[in-house]
Amino acid sequence: MKEDIVLTIHKDQDGDALKVTLEGRLDTMTAPELEKELKGSLDDVRELTFVLTDLEYISSAGLRVLLMAQKTMSSKGSMKVTGVNDLVREIFEVTGFTEILTIE
Amino acid sequence: MKEVRGEVQGDRISLILSGRIDSNNAGDTEAAIRAIADQAPGKPVLIDAEGLEYISSAGLRVILRLRKTNEDVHIINVNPEVYEIFDMTGFTQMMTVDKAYRVVSVEGAEEIGRGANGTIYRIDQDNVVKVYNNADALEEIQHEREVARKALVLGIPTAISYDVVRVNDSYGSVFELLNAKSFSKILAEEPEKMDWCVKEYVDLLKKIHGTLVPKGQLPVLKDTVLSWGEFMKPYLTEEEHEKLMRMINEIPEDDHMVHGDYHTKNVELVDDEVLLIDMDTLAVGHPILELASMYNAFIGYSEYDHNNVKKFQGFDFETALEFWHKVLSAYLETSDEKKIREVEDKARIIGLIRMIRRSIRRKGLETPDGKAEIELWLSELKELLGKTDSLLFRSNELDVEATGENLSKVIGFVTAFLEEADCPLKTQMQIEVAVEEIFVNIANYAYAPEQGNATVRVEVSDDPVTVTIQFIDQGFPYDPLAKQDPDVTMSAEDRQIGGLGIFMAKKSMDDIAYRYENGKNILTMKKKITG
Repeated sequence: MKEDIVLTIHKDQDGDALKVTLEGRLDTMTAPELEKELKGSLDDVRELTFVLTDLEYISSAGLRVLLMAQKTMSSKGSMKVTGVNDLVREIFEVTGFTEILTIE
Repeated sequence: MKEVRGEVQGDRISLILSGRIDSNNAGDTEAAIRAIADQAPGKPVLIDAEGLEYISSAGLRVILRLRKTNEDVHIINVNPEVYEIFDMTGFTQMMTVDKAYRVVSVEGAEEIGRGANGTIYRIDQDNVVKVYNNADALEEIQHEREVARKALVLGIPTAISYDVVRVNDSYGSVFELLNAKSFSKILAEEPEKMDWCVKEYVDLLKKIHGTLVPKGQLPVLKDTVLSWGEFMKPYLTEEEHEKLMRMINEIPEDDHMVHGDYHTKNVELVDDEVLLIDMDTLAVGHPILELASMYNAFIGYSEYDHNNVKKFQGFDFETALEFWHKVLSAYLETSDEKKIREVEDKARIIGLIRMIRRSIRRKGLETPDGKAEIELWLSELKELLGKTDSLLFRSNELDVEATGENLSKVIGFVTAFLEEADCPLKTQMQIEVAVEEIFVNIANYAYAPEQGNATVRVEVSDDPVTVTIQFIDQGFPYDPLAKQDPDVTMSAEDRQIGGLGIFMAKKSMDDIAYRYENGKNILTMKKKITG
């Protein structure tokens, strides 16, 4: 059932480097959770990495949070996105996010 | 004292006044009333004045004094002349005084409809009367008037009774129904109008099933069906009965309206308008419950004796078969015989338990024909129970309150169609993105700051396999596609947060179009889903 698939957020901090692994769906319902998680965690971070290997779905609400994170990090460090699968890559391409984000 | 009779009935004093009450017999009348009323001091009094021909001021004073000891006095069945006296003297303001019911004869009147609890006759060119089977039907009449009123307020075209009358030994309610012709009569007399009837009949059915009813306003039909299921216990194996009850229990709660007795005698063409009548069975529930009673009306009750449908609807069994099949096909919006058959079988299970229960309770097992009919139905039911695992069927339309919380419901509804069509995962995700963006947009803006509903329709067509998804809302007219696309070449610093959703929907689908029609925003989007 689609209703059961939510978003799992896993954070892994190493000094001023933070790795955020997302699993599931980043959509209108789950994006606010991620936004909340990031708001309280980015103060001392210089290097932010998103691992999206198991991200199955992203909508504009998810992109918004990534864009906000990118704006925050641009001013004080760096942000990169790894493990982008085909499905998510297509969305990034269509929306110009491949130009905004550093995708590895 | 022949002018007064009466007794104490439980918590109520019941009096019958008759003849003339004036200064000559007012004293005796009062004594007779007191003798009865003093047995139950202060209790409510119901006065039946059907036989009362005249009451003078002396008589009126008797009633006033009665009201001092027994506050609640209710006078019924008052003839027009006596009612005028009560009215002129202000009594109608002081207590409840009900006029006697007009007497109406239906002898020789044309029968134009028949429902579970009464029969409808035309009494003159403009008026019809529904005569109730139950002799003590005042409460039923009240109920039916009340539900008809609710339905009308919710947008269902129906007639509301304006008068209650006596017909023989029972009550009737009178409706204005100018030049009405039932769909049964049209089907019987003008067979060339079959397809027109199917369309109008299904349009009205969809309107009923698309009407959300505020909680608690109408009975829950599923509860009734559960009681039919319980009744079947002695007639099925333990395993069959468990399966039946599980399947009924699995029918989801549904706050949409169902008519409960939707056959062609209850749908009337009045001038150019199609009206629904006989509203006493109105309820809320899943559409399969409605389809079950429709199956019974056209096929079920006539399966054993094909003449039944002719007797009841006025057209023959072949017409009934054709009409039912076309209706089901139009309602489900498919010509796929397998799918039609599948839904019909589900409807039959509920239809059969209803008929079996009804017939057994009416001593059907005691006559050879009744017994043979019940046995036929029972064998069909057992066969169907063997091959059916669920009573649910998928409608291609979902009507939900447009809120973010309902997003997963909408996504789940759409993806079920995509999965069935073997849609590739990537395409499915693109479609999901478009559905989410459009639905969230409606949820956030269409009715803001109020809330309203959105309807989502899905259609999958062949050659090449293409999905069409339609969003319909009745919010402010707004074309989301008119908004300028965001500049996707800007850098992160310059990009606006937001404004991406509709753009993503446009990019995800092959075609997307908006129109405003009859007060509705209609957004239609298409995508080919073959690899």
